[in-house]
Amino acid sequence: MAQNETKHYLRTIDVDKKIVANIDNGIIILDTNLTIYHYNRWLELHTKIKERDILERTLDTLFPTIKKKTLIRKIKTALRLKTPTFYTASTSKYLIPIQLNQIKNAGFHYMQQDVSIIPFDETKELVALILTDQTNMIQTNSLLEANIKKVQELNAALLKERKTIDEKVLFIKINNSALIVDVSEALLNLLRFEKEDLLLLNFFIYEQRHLNKDLKIKILEAMKELHVLEFEHKTLTQDGKIIWLKNSLVPEFNASGVHIGFIIFRENITASKNLVINHEKMLANSRSAAMGEMISMIAHQWRQPLSLINTIIATMKIKKELNTLDEETINRSFEKIHSTTKFLSDTIDDFRAYFKPNKCTSTFSLLTLFDKSIFFLKDEMTQNDIKYTTEIASDIEITTYKNELLQSIINIIKNSIDAFGENHINIEQRYIHVSVCSFKMHIAIKIEDNAGGIDSQTLSHVFEPYFSTKNKNGTGLGLYMCKAIITEHLKGDINMKSEGHTTSTLIELPYKIQ
Amino acid sequence: MDSYKLTEDEKDVLQELMNVAYGNATAVVADMLDAFASLSIPKINIMSVGELLATFSELKSTSYFFSTQAFSGEFSGESAFFINAESAKNLAKHLELESDEDLDDAILELTNVLTSSLTTKLSEEMDTEVSFSLPSISKIPLEEINDVATFQQYSQVIVIDTDLNFEDQQINGKIFILTKDDSIQWLKTKLNTILELLM
Repeated sequence: MAQNETKHYLRTIDVDKKIVANIDNGIIILDTNLTIYHYNRWLELHTKIKERDILERTLDTLFPTIKKKTLIRKIKTALRLKTPTFYTASTSKYLIPIQLNQIKNAGFHYMQQDVSIIPFDETKELVALILTDQTNMIQTNSLLEANIKKVQELNAALLKERKTIDEKVLFIKINNSALIVDVSEALLNLLRFEKEDLLLLNFFIYEQRHLNKDLKIKILEAMKELHVLEFEHKTLTQDGKIIWLKNSLVPEFNASGVHIGFIIFRENITASKNLVINHEKMLANSRSAAMGEMISMIAHQWRQPLSLINTIIATMKIKKELNTLDEETINRSFEKIHSTTKFLSDTIDDFRAYFKPNKCTSTFSLLTLFDKSIFFLKDEMTQNDIKYTTEIASDIEITTYKNELLQSIINIIKNSIDAFGENHINIEQRYIHVSVCSFKMHIAIKIEDNAGGIDSQTLSHVFEPYFSTKNKNGTGLGLYMCKAIITEHLKGDINMKSEGHTTSTLIELPYKIQ
Repeated sequence: MDSYKLTEDEKDVLQELMNVAYGNATAVVADMLDAFASLSIPKINIMSVGELLATFSELKSTSYFFSTQAFSGEFSGESAFFINAESAKNLAKHLELESDEDLDDAILELTNVLTSSLTTKLSEEMDTEVSFSLPSISKIPLEEINDVATFQQYSQVIVIDTDLNFEDQQINGKIFILTKDDSIQWLKTKLNTILELLM
C-alpha cells in the first residue's frame, strides 16, 4: 500500500515549482520581446525585485545595461535551433547586474554569471534563462592566470640566468653512477668538445688518462661520503692542448633534497700553472748557471794550489837531476803535496756542501757567513785588486736557510767583481764593503762597491728574469733568483740603488723565519 | 587503433549526414548574423588527432581563436571551432561590434550555432540525443596547439572546413568534432545500421 501512496504523492507535488523556487540559480522566462513571464525567488532575493511588480515588463527596461539586440539574437537562435545558447562569464561577465558584498571576491563588484538560454515553449516562443553564479570560478581563474604569468616570468628569468651560467661557468654534471649528464657551454668551448661527445659517458672513463689512481680513489670516496672535494688536474682538449683545471666536486640535490648526483665546477688555471712551471724552469736554469759559476770558482781556487804542486814537482825533478834531492826535501815535498791535495778536496766538499739547498733552517753568525763567501771569491778579488772589508758585529746571529742566503750573497758580490772587470774604468782603490745593521725586528745587510754604478734605466730592470748587461756569459737569472730566494724563501726583501760610481744592495731579513 | 578507423562506406554515410546537418546550420547562421550569408559546401574529413596536428603545423597564420564545447550523450565528445584573427576581425566588422569582449561572445555564439546545430542534427539522424555544456574560448598561438589538452584525449576527429560568404567579406572557419574511441564505436554501429537500411 505504501508504494501506492508514494506514487500518488509524486503525482500531486509540483516538482518543477518547488525546485525552481529553491534552486541556487536565477531563472527567468522571457519571450522574444524580452517580456518577463517568470522571475524566480533566487532572483527576487538577489536583485530585491519582486516578481509580481515586474511581470509583463521587459527585461531591458528593468536592467538598462543589457544589450537588447544580442539577447534577442540569442533567444531567437535557441528557439530556431531547438538547442541552448549561452552567455559565458569568462567573456560576458554578467547579464543581470547583481551587486556583491562579499569580502572573498573583493575583485568584483557584480556577480559573474554563466547564462544558458534554453527553449521553453516553442509555440509561444518562450525561453528560460538560467543564471549560474560563477564569481568564485572566475576569481580562481584570474588568480590562476596571474600566478601562471608570475611563474612564466620567473621561469623566463631563471632560463636567462641559466643560460648565462651555462655560457660563463665551467661545470660538468654527473649522476650517481658517474655518467656525465650535462656539460656547460663554457666548458665545451674550452675543451672543444660537442655535448654529444661527452653525454652519458662515464666521467672516470672520459678522464681516465688524466686522473691518477690516488686522485680517483679520493674522488670516489668524496662521492661516497657526499663531501666537497677540491682537486687540480690536467686534461686534454679535443685538439690535444693541455688544460690545467681546478675542480670542486659538489654533491647536487634536487628541490626536495634528494641527492641526484654531483656538479664539478672547474676553473681554468692553465695560465697560472704555466707561470709556476716557467718559474720552476727558471729555477732549474739558474741552478745549472750556479753550477757553472761553482765550477769556475773551483777552477779559481784550484789554480794556485795546482801550480804549487807543479812547482814542487818541478823543483824535485831539478834537484834529482842535480843530485841534490835529499830525504828531507822529498818528505817535505810530499807533505806539502799531500796538504795541497787535501785543500783541493776540501774545496770541492765545501762547494758541494754550500750549494745544496737547505731543507731546514739553522742559526749562524753573519760574520762567519761572510768569511765563507770570501773564501770562495778571495782569489778573484785579489786578481782584480779589490779591497774587501766588512763591518759586522760578531754576535749577530740569524735563523734562516743558510746556503740559500750564502748563494745570494755570493751572487751579489760576484756581480760586483764582474762589474769591476766589465766597466773598464780606472778606479783608484777598488773596494767591496759589507756592513750589517741590526734593528728591532730585522737585520739589514748592505753590500757596497765602487765599480762604476748603474744607470737608472738599467737599475729598474735588474730583478727581472733574463735581464743581463753581461755580453755572453750572463744568464740574466742571477739577481732575479736572488730576489726570488730572498723574498719567497727567506721572507725578506732586496733593493738596489746606485749613486755616482757606487752601487749598494740592501738585503733585509727577519731574525728568524717563522 | 585500426578498429576505430572508419571504412570508406562509413565515411560516405557520415559525409552525407554532415551535409544535411550543415545545411540546417546555414539558415540559422544567416539568421543570427542578420544578413544574407551563404555557407559554401563544406569539405569533410575524418582523421586521427596525429594527422590533425600535422595539418595545423602547415598553417602559417600566427593567431587563432579557438573555442570548444563539450557535448554528452550516447554520442559524446567535444566540438571545436577555429577562426583565424583575420576572419574574426571581419566578423566583428560585420556585426558592428565595439569591444573585444563582444567579439569573443560573437565567436562563442558562432561556435555554439555551428557545432550544436551540426551535432544536434547528426544525433537526430542517428536517433539519439545530446546535451551541451557552455562553450569556452581561448586565443592561442599556433605553435602551442600541440599542448592543447583537448586534442590529447581524443583519437578521431571529424573536420569540417567551412567558408561563410558575405557580400563584401569572407570568413573562414574550421569545425572539429572530436570523439573518443567508445563514441566512434557507437558511431560505427549507427553508420552501419543506416548503411544496411540503404542497401
